[in-house]
Amino acid sequence: MRVVRRLSAVSVEAVRLGLRAGQKATDAAALVPDLVTAEAEPQADAEALAALADWCVRFSPAVAIDAPDGLFLDVTGVDHLWGGEAAMLTDFSTRLAANGLPFRCAIADTPGAAWALAHYGQDGAIAPPGGQAELLKPLPPAALRLDTETWAQVERLGLRRLDQLMSIPRGPFARRFGRAALTRLDQALGREREALTFRRPPTPWFARLAFAEPISAPEDMARVTVDVTAKLCARLETQGRGARRFEIAFHRVDGKALPLSIGLSLPGRDPTRIAKLFAPRLDTVDPGFGIEVVTLTAQDVEPISGRQARLDAAREASVEEGLAPLVDRLVNRLGAERVWRAQPVESHVPELAVGRERPFAPAAGGKPAEVRTWNREAPRPARLFRRPEPVEAVMALTPDDPPSQFRWRGQLHRVRRAEGPERVGEEWWKGAIEDVRVEHVRDYYRVEDETGARFWLFRAGLYGDPDVLPKWWLHGVFG
Amino acid sequence: MSDFRGLEAVRAKIAAIEATARADHGVLPFGEAQIDGRLPGGGLPLGRWHEVCGDGMEVETAAAPTAFTALMVAPLARRGEVVWVLRRDDLWAPGLLGLGFPPERLIQVCARDEAEALSVMEDALGTVGVAAVVGEVEAADLTAGRRLQLACEKRQATGFVIRRRPYGGQARREATGSAASTRWRVASAPSEPPAGEFGLGAPRFRVELERCRGGRTGAWLMEAAAAYDSGAYSWETTDVAHPLRLVADLGDRQLAPAQRTAVAA
Repeated sequence: MRVVRRLSAVSVEAVRLGLRAGQKATDAAALVPDLVTAEAEPQADAEALAALADWCVRFSPAVAIDAPDGLFLDVTGVDHLWGGEAAMLTDFSTRLAANGLPFRCAIADTPGAAWALAHYGQDGAIAPPGGQAELLKPLPPAALRLDTETWAQVERLGLRRLDQLMSIPRGPFARRFGRAALTRLDQALGREREALTFRRPPTPWFARLAFAEPISAPEDMARVTVDVTAKLCARLETQGRGARRFEIAFHRVDGKALPLSIGLSLPGRDPTRIAKLFAPRLDTVDPGFGIEVVTLTAQDVEPISGRQARLDAAREASVEEGLAPLVDRLVNRLGAERVWRAQPVESHVPELAVGRERPFAPAAGGKPAEVRTWNREAPRPARLFRRPEPVEAVMALTPDDPPSQFRWRGQLHRVRRAEGPERVGEEWWKGAIEDVRVEHVRDYYRVEDETGARFWLFRAGLYGDPDVLPKWWLHGVFG
Repeated sequence: MSDFRGLEAVRAKIAAIEATARADHGVLPFGEAQIDGRLPGGGLPLGRWHEVCGDGMEVETAAAPTAFTALMVAPLARRGEVVWVLRRDDLWAPGLLGLGFPPERLIQVCARDEAEALSVMEDALGTVGVAAVVGEVEAADLTAGRRLQLACEKRQATGFVIRRRPYGGQARREATGSAASTRWRVASAPSEPPAGEFGLGAPRFRVELERCRGGRTGAWLMEAAAAYDSGAYSWETTDVAHPLRLVADLGDRQLAPAQRTAVAA
């Protein structure tokens, strides 16, 4: 197959020479013999766009990527931080230009209208609330983000401006250009909602601090962490809510955003506590030439009750004040998989009978009616080895007797007393029926040697088959 | 006679000095006069930390010290949560339940190294709602021991250090001094099932109280009478006997080390 190489993007200078994106590379080289080209890297472009989206979080927590080269920012309710949309757009443009990125931008009520204005309208246009229709009228139909087929149809009919399209009645419009085109028009004009896929879910729980001078000293970073946390927590407090996750991002002068996140086991809003959880990890943030903005978002926000004052609430109160923060400190320091509470799992296989659950985690699907537990009467070792260890020199009478002696870790143990067997079958209903084998049957014995040491041994397989001899393993030790 | 009186007076003075240094946080009596009589205040002192160690292979597996510690901590689980700091995550909740320790009151933490284990212990000891903290540590030197002691005093939590080399190797030489309130050396002892019954009896331990601040040392044979029996002992009821029962006095402590070397050889 012949591959036609085409220009995927062109610089401003190239446009002046008459080149355009989508042109064949050979044609372009014929027009401009000393054209400098570089291989397109869609993957790198996507990564750069994602990085830019992260940077834009300093302006709004809700950023959606419009591949391959666009971004949507939902600035609803955040423009007042800059003192209006115009000031915000100016700040945005200045900072983006300082990074050397060519761009066009616009603000409108709907993503569709903003897209149209940014691509075909005047750069930096701000549509007044409800006034996007006027601004859209002179734009070409391509501003509606139509697919190529519909666009060709519109072109063929000689429609050059959007106001011509707007004046067509809805019925004939849908028949001629398809429902998708009508949806696009409605979305641009705000008659229909458009769902954007935000890079992170938009949360109203967002706080932001900007500094006149970039900061970089560790103590300054610690202080702004406290400040921004206090700001967000004050809002949570007034609404009677707490959050389980907090994500802080330090926005550096060079445009990089460095995020840190922490989790709480119970929803919280105590700023000193939350800031303390961030504190030990602040030194992993490299401030570079300085940090100019810090943002904090709260996720998993849920209503929490105020302080309990009942006398019989002593245990609950201590969980909120003492244990939950302890678990949070440990989880954030050691990792979630290193702090757990053992939870019974319904399984006959001993090593599968214990699940791990995060302490004070909310019970999935409400509280279980009955607290399950293991069988207290079946003797189980206090230490269970992750992998059973092989034992040698086992002397045991066939078919079912406990061993009378065995060697484990180089030491011979003579069995004085023994209990068993307790047969543990394979959970054959979980795998393929062909994999079920008699070797997977385990007979467990609790044995005690002459010194009193107690072990949990098992024999894998049964006697009877002369080809496959059962093997003995040591699975755990009792005290 | 006057000499004796003088000694008593000095003892009282020392006790007074020690009492002012730290408030008395109560004791957990074993309910056996032979043991409680040797411990200061008539029971295992709370709001301090205690050391439990084993011998031989137990330096790696720490099975007998684990079971013994779980039995000592079980009555404390009534007062709050228990945090168990591990280096190797082989502690198995069904086994603890069998001994009578409530796993639903246990938070397990797996630390990456010795220093982290000690600092997690300190953190947990100083937390409201934590009744006891068990840590598996190779050795707590004087500084670490003092820090643990200060953390215990913060909230009257009781600490237990199980001396363990979780990944084997030679046992480290024992530190000469220790800030621990007591040190117990625990080994499994052959069980005695009731006459006419097969199998194993209740788990037995040979327990030596090697160090005891403000008390005397001793050695005993003890039994977890209610292990693997759902009816006999419940951690929830408030006025039950200690889960460990005294079986026999092992007599003079001087004999015990000789006996131990005989077993190891």
